[in-house]
Amino acid sequence: MKSFLKYGALFFLFFFIIEKSVLFVLWKAPELEQDRRLEFVLEGEMNKDLIVLGSSKGASNILASQLGNETGLASYNLSYEGSHIVFHHFILKTLIKHNTAPKKIILLIDTHYQFINEPSLVFRYDRLYPLSKYNHINDELIGKGKKNMLSKFFALSRVNRSNFQLSEKETNQYNPFDNSGSRPYVKRNLKKKFEYLDDTEPYNPEFELKEKIEAFNNIQKLCSVNDIELICVIPPNYSTYNATFVERFKVLLKPESKWVVYDTLNSIYKQKEYYYDQSHLFKNGASVFTSEISDFIKNNSN
Amino acid sequence: MLFNSLDFAIFLPSVFILYWFVFKRNIKLQNVLLILASYVFYGWWDYRFLALIIFSSLVDYAIGKKLRNEEEPIKRKILLWISILVNLGFLGFFKYYNFFIDNFVEAFSFFGNKIQPNTLDIILPVGISFYTFQTLSYTIDVYKKKLEPTDDVISFLAFVSFFPQLVAGPIERATNLLPQFYIKRVFHFSAATDGCRQILWGLFKKIVIADQCAVYANTIFNNSDSYSGSTLFVGAIFFAFQIYGDFSGYSDIAIGTSRLFGFSLKQNFAFPYFSRDIAEFWRRWHISLSTWFRDYLYIPLGGSQVGTWKKIRNIFIIFIVSGFWHGANWTFIFWGFLNALYFLPLLIRKQNRNNLNIIAQNQNLPTFKEVFQMAITFCLTTLAWVFFRAENMAHAWDYIKGIFSFSFLSLPEVRPTNLLVLLVFFIIVEWIGRCQHYAIEVLLLKKPRLLKWIFYSFLMALIFIFSGESQQTFIYFQF
Repeated sequence: MKSFLKYGALFFLFFFIIEKSVLFVLWKAPELEQDRRLEFVLEGEMNKDLIVLGSSKGASNILASQLGNETGLASYNLSYEGSHIVFHHFILKTLIKHNTAPKKIILLIDTHYQFINEPSLVFRYDRLYPLSKYNHINDELIGKGKKNMLSKFFALSRVNRSNFQLSEKETNQYNPFDNSGSRPYVKRNLKKKFEYLDDTEPYNPEFELKEKIEAFNNIQKLCSVNDIELICVIPPNYSTYNATFVERFKVLLKPESKWVVYDTLNSIYKQKEYYYDQSHLFKNGASVFTSEISDFIKNNSN
Repeated sequence: MLFNSLDFAIFLPSVFILYWFVFKRNIKLQNVLLILASYVFYGWWDYRFLALIIFSSLVDYAIGKKLRNEEEPIKRKILLWISILVNLGFLGFFKYYNFFIDNFVEAFSFFGNKIQPNTLDIILPVGISFYTFQTLSYTIDVYKKKLEPTDDVISFLAFVSFFPQLVAGPIERATNLLPQFYIKRVFHFSAATDGCRQILWGLFKKIVIADQCAVYANTIFNNSDSYSGSTLFVGAIFFAFQIYGDFSGYSDIAIGTSRLFGFSLKQNFAFPYFSRDIAEFWRRWHISLSTWFRDYLYIPLGGSQVGTWKKIRNIFIIFIVSGFWHGANWTFIFWGFLNALYFLPLLIRKQNRNNLNIIAQNQNLPTFKEVFQMAITFCLTTLAWVFFRAENMAHAWDYIKGIFSFSFLSLPEVRPTNLLVLLVFFIIVEWIGRCQHYAIEVLLLKKPRLLKWIFYSFLMALIFIFSGESQQTFIYFQF
């Protein structure tokens, strides 16, 4: 028994040393990311007046640098492609925890996909894994069942296979990041074929997910508690305006939250050259849409 | 409690310390500790079903004692049937009640009679199929006078509920395991380290191989109508590795854990995917169940000592019953039937005992013929697994049809490079260790300690890395 305990302890010591050497990989991982916005948030370097939250539409349709120039508010875009509202709530929570709360939040609404189960919109765990050295991120991963409690004690349990991709990730040529975190489409993809969509199907709240409605309520509550002005923005699509969703959306909105819909009478939004695809504006379209938001802020500021 | 959980990581050392340091000098107390630990282990999932295990154990203990003093054949038979009815009654009610009701209703509907189904919302107690067969084997062996009935109720309760193999086997025979509870257990350094190694390999199989294959197998099976034939085939292969890693991994952890407490359990898997024909596969897959059916069903039916037609009948009976044992679904029954069909040509041509030795014994690599035989056996098994994994028969048929379509010739849409690297590593290690009880039993054993420790640390590192994501419960828990 003595030998068993002795060699067992020695082996665990040996393993402990190897285990701790993995910390190097964990510490190095964030630096290899092309998108380091969440890292800056966690490091407390995201002290801005205005923050944009949303999915890819938020990233490409709203130009934070232009918003900054037009409103005079230091602005930054923290929208993530393919993310849903639960993820946006997490980003806001993290932002407020580690930085000075912004004065305004622009929350881009993914129209009728916002609250239903849409497979292309997910909680972007892939953005969290490279940052698992941060306890805040690790706790979130544990909470979501993506890591277990061992990760509180062992570096190896925090490691993900993405940590072993040792080369820097490539940038996207169609919508690269600008210096304000936005990702406007600057190059057309000729393989993308899309036509004007006549979307007349009425919105059905029966398909809404409780988790997403809760996340939206929590975002509103967080803004209210931290004295942040929440402005929800409904962007254009290369399709008809669906008023049934907007009616439903207004019901979910708290009185202190504001909302703005793109100018449905603006003919630009019916022209294909202002779009990259069915639901994303090209940079020229994004510039028009951002100006509308700037005007709204200037005219409706507290 | 799951073997791959943090709870178990705390539970196991705690029981180990109490067992070897506090109750070391008293076998009875050690056995009581094992019973309590087993009940905690089981109750962690649902304490209400503990009563079922205790009742089942006490019934068989009492019947065993009665059988000792009973010489009259009819009365002995009645006692045996009481045990069978009680045990299979519980199993039938919890596992098969709704299946029979549903099929009864469907059969009536077919003839135009509509009857109201009276199904119940029944939870299947974890491990009921395993411990029921274990305790039944005791009564049958006592009835057949192959085993002396025990007077030691503590040992008997410990035997039925022994936590390492309680919920998913190996299904131990009373003749092997029960006597080990009567004698003083001695701690052996080599047995304990060997147990640790087997636990490590079991965890690797479960967490690194099975759980990672499950991610892709689940995606492909759940969306089978939108994938090409080649992808569906890849999905079936991933499931083949998932179920092997999952179940044999569990068995390895169970056997390794038992060794830590001074017990020796029987080997449950002997590298089945290196089999050269289906008969060999079934001698190497879930050995404790196959031999149970062989001894308590196949041989009583006449086994192979009867005419050809009866032999064929017996083979179909044991394979179909084995399929039904796995679950109350036609997919499992068909899976059993299909394996019987695979077995049939070997039986008729009297080739079912051709490959009794280990493949490529004393050689590094197999011959081309052996590779071909292994590939055919693996493909047949993988196709059968489709029925095992599918939601229902319609899903299984659509999946099989999808595989045998022209799109089989296209490149699979799912090509996870990381997983393929892991699978290649896994297959190589399993091949190297195919003559042992588990793959890493003697691997690097004679090499310097540093080398061994680096290898074990590497396995542990992979287990840690993969343990956080996509953790799945053990497949065989549902049986």
